[in-house]
Amino acid sequence: MLDSSAFNISDLTVSSLRSSTPILLAILGETLTQRVGIINLGVEGQMLVGALAGFAATLSFGNPWIGLLVGALAGVLMSSLHAGLCVGLKANQIASGIAVLILGMGLTSFYGIPYVGQKIHGFHHLLSAHWQTVPILGTFVSQLTPTVIIGLIATPLVGIWLYRTRTGLIWRSVGESVQVARATGINPAFVQVQGVLIGGFFSGFAGAAMSVDYTRDWVENMTGGRGLVAVGLVIVARWNPFLALPAALLFGGSEAFYLRLQTAGVAVSPYLLATIPYVVTLLVLLVSYYLANKEGGAPQGLTAIFR
Amino acid sequence: MHIELRGISKHFGEVAANADVNLEIKAGEVLALLGENGAGKSTLMKILYGFYQGDSGEIVIDGTTVEIDTPRTAMALGIGMVFQQFNLIPALSVAENLMLAYPKSPWWQSRHRPVWSTVLENLTKLARDIDPSKLVRHLAIGEQQLVELAKVLNLNAQLVILDEPTAVLTPQESERLWALVRQLADSGRSVVLITHKFEDVEACADRVAIMRAGRLVEVADARGKTIDEMVTLMMGQHQVAANPSVKSPQKDIQKLWIKSISAKDRRAAIVDIELQLAPGEILGIAGVAGNGQRLLADAVAGLAVLDNGEVILDGEVVSRLGRQPVNPNRNSKIGYIPEQPLENGVASDLDLTTNLSLHRLVGMPFFPKKQTEQAQAQKLIDEFNVRPSDPTKLAQDLSGGNLQKLVSARELSGMPSLVVACYPSMGLDILSTRAIYEQMFKHAERGACILWISEDLDDLLQYAHRIAVLSHGKITGILPAASADRQTIGLLMTGARKTA
Ligand SMILES: Nc1ncnc2c1ncn2[C@@H]1O[C@H](COP(=O)(O)OP(=O)(O)O)[C@@H](O)[C@H]1O
Ligand SMILES: [Mg+2]
Repeated sequence: MLDSSAFNISDLTVSSLRSSTPILLAILGETLTQRVGIINLGVEGQMLVGALAGFAATLSFGNPWIGLLVGALAGVLMSSLHAGLCVGLKANQIASGIAVLILGMGLTSFYGIPYVGQKIHGFHHLLSAHWQTVPILGTFVSQLTPTVIIGLIATPLVGIWLYRTRTGLIWRSVGESVQVARATGINPAFVQVQGVLIGGFFSGFAGAAMSVDYTRDWVENMTGGRGLVAVGLVIVARWNPFLALPAALLFGGSEAFYLRLQTAGVAVSPYLLATIPYVVTLLVLLVSYYLANKEGGAPQGLTAIFR
Repeated sequence: MHIELRGISKHFGEVAANADVNLEIKAGEVLALLGENGAGKSTLMKILYGFYQGDSGEIVIDGTTVEIDTPRTAMALGIGMVFQQFNLIPALSVAENLMLAYPKSPWWQSRHRPVWSTVLENLTKLARDIDPSKLVRHLAIGEQQLVELAKVLNLNAQLVILDEPTAVLTPQESERLWALVRQLADSGRSVVLITHKFEDVEACADRVAIMRAGRLVEVADARGKTIDEMVTLMMGQHQVAANPSVKSPQKDIQKLWIKSISAKDRRAAIVDIELQLAPGEILGIAGVAGNGQRLLADAVAGLAVLDNGEVILDGEVVSRLGRQPVNPNRNSKIGYIPEQPLENGVASDLDLTTNLSLHRLVGMPFFPKKQTEQAQAQKLIDEFNVRPSDPTKLAQDLSGGNLQKLVSARELSGMPSLVVACYPSMGLDILSTRAIYEQMFKHAERGACILWISEDLDDLLQYAHRIAVLSHGKITGILPAASADRQTIGLLMTGARKTA
């Protein structure tokens, strides 16, 4: 018998949103990076560094907001390595991204040891208890955390910024053709560095959102491949920030779902159940790749990676 | 604005693209910059536009020496340039492309603001029918050129540099452009018109500057030079080749039968095209670009899926209804020079040797002999005068005209029974054009059919045996070239059917 209370819709929605938030932020950042024609496979490493730095900062300052900020800045620092290597030195983007990934994993495994098992308080509930009494919406709203809301606000903001501002137009054009951008009088390298760094900011923030707001602890490799999945989901979202939310919910939702299955006591190995989000993502990635080849939509500059 | 280029030199590796060039551009004049492919015209103007840095020399504007290190600086000084290879972003809309280059583009790009009408004003004047929300990818070449022009006009530049603008325009569009150029000059601005067409010079130039092999060889009043003099100056000691000759075809044998074919794709459609060619016949296809020429060529070459009909060459079906034909013989039987060779005819990341053997790849030994391939490539390169003449260079390093020569060299090198040529002379100077024509017509002399798509009516009238006019995907008339005239063809081009 399954425990049906584990599948309360409002609950499931909130927990989906909560587990989607880190990956949503990472997708938004990587979308911006890829829009300027650079692919950054180091998102995972940047998330880990952001998670650890954010956790450590929250622990020592006692303020989760400082933790989020420190985590984001740590992500910027990590991504500056990628920016320097592949924009400055024109190194291969794949190799450079993997270097950032491995470096992030190594650094956090080592410096994270003393933080394993520690606990932080994280955010207080945003809205006071009397919201809980409001029917239906009440439980939903009262469980939203600051990072979930930041993610939900950031999504349209990034979209509008990319499609409705001159800066966004310049970024998109650099991602399409460095030559044309240069002939128009734009400095493409400058724009690309910005694109990589803002990607670093988002992924560092995403990591911190995980450790500071979602799990509230530090575990080695706690991001568990979310950064790599995010790179794939950028393609599913067709490099469109507005589609980042459904793409992230795909992963977060299936994660929340498998956790519920587990609590409900389904007789399947928890290890197998834990693969659900990844399998779902992989399937959607395959389908969307098939569609993408028909429609296009990838920034032209990304093809330069394979030179 | 009065501009002086003093002692400009520029080297690309071994190549001296510009050598000690001194050129003056006066306010309110149209200066035609003439020269063969590779003479260094584009390079000189790109230096003025800040896209390249000269190795030596200086630029003086209104008496003061200026340092132009980026196009941004040039634009700020009032210099705008339309490049020969387009500088539009295919994935963005027309409006976005214009907005990107617009100097006073607002940060917040709302859809409903007066700035949009300002940005689109020049485009509307040039081409009323281009939809600004359309992606540039979906525009015809001629339309893209107009968007480029609108982009530069938006800069409100005092000097407008146009790099071979009429190479891709229809006669009507060219005329509109000439009028526009004159209008700019009359309003006190200067225009540099890079070209190798003398009709451009006649139509609107005040002065001509002629370049050869990186040097400026002559600057003169446009009316003071005859075409022959200009040709001699452009070519130097080279002999100007005589016009190639064509033999009349063997009548009443049918070699190529295009049997009422219809096809459509995202950009164009052709409807019920019926053509029959005799051995050795040169059939010209006239028409305004974007009326289905590309699709017709693809269909005949067996590269497009037909909705109806079939194409029969030497009794063999090369293209048929419904499915992509699998025809291993296509490459040896059909020579195909596609439009826009950079996109459709070469692998730009591969070297010239590989590009010249693309059509033979399937039949090659498992381990191709590099030396043999390279020697063959070198022979073709020399024969078609491709610059740079190094077979190990990459195709993407070639200029437009040289790419055209490269593709022609490959497609015209075998013994094809059918040659399909789309604008084979696009971007080529007189000498190279004649050389390509000669190669093409040689196959006709051998008995091959030539399907020749062109916008150059004079050339079609001179060399083709018959001229078919394509309009809105349909053949609106077929005329023997001997009795055809520009008026009739022009009328058919507008879609009016020929009345018997
Ligand atoms: N970016 C480049 N790299 C190397 N060689 C170049 C480059 N641009 C032009 N060249 C060479 O410089 C010469 C002059 O080219 P260009 O100015 O484009 O001639 P034109 O515009 O008169 O046809 C040619 O030999 C060409 O191959
Ligand atoms: Mg040129």
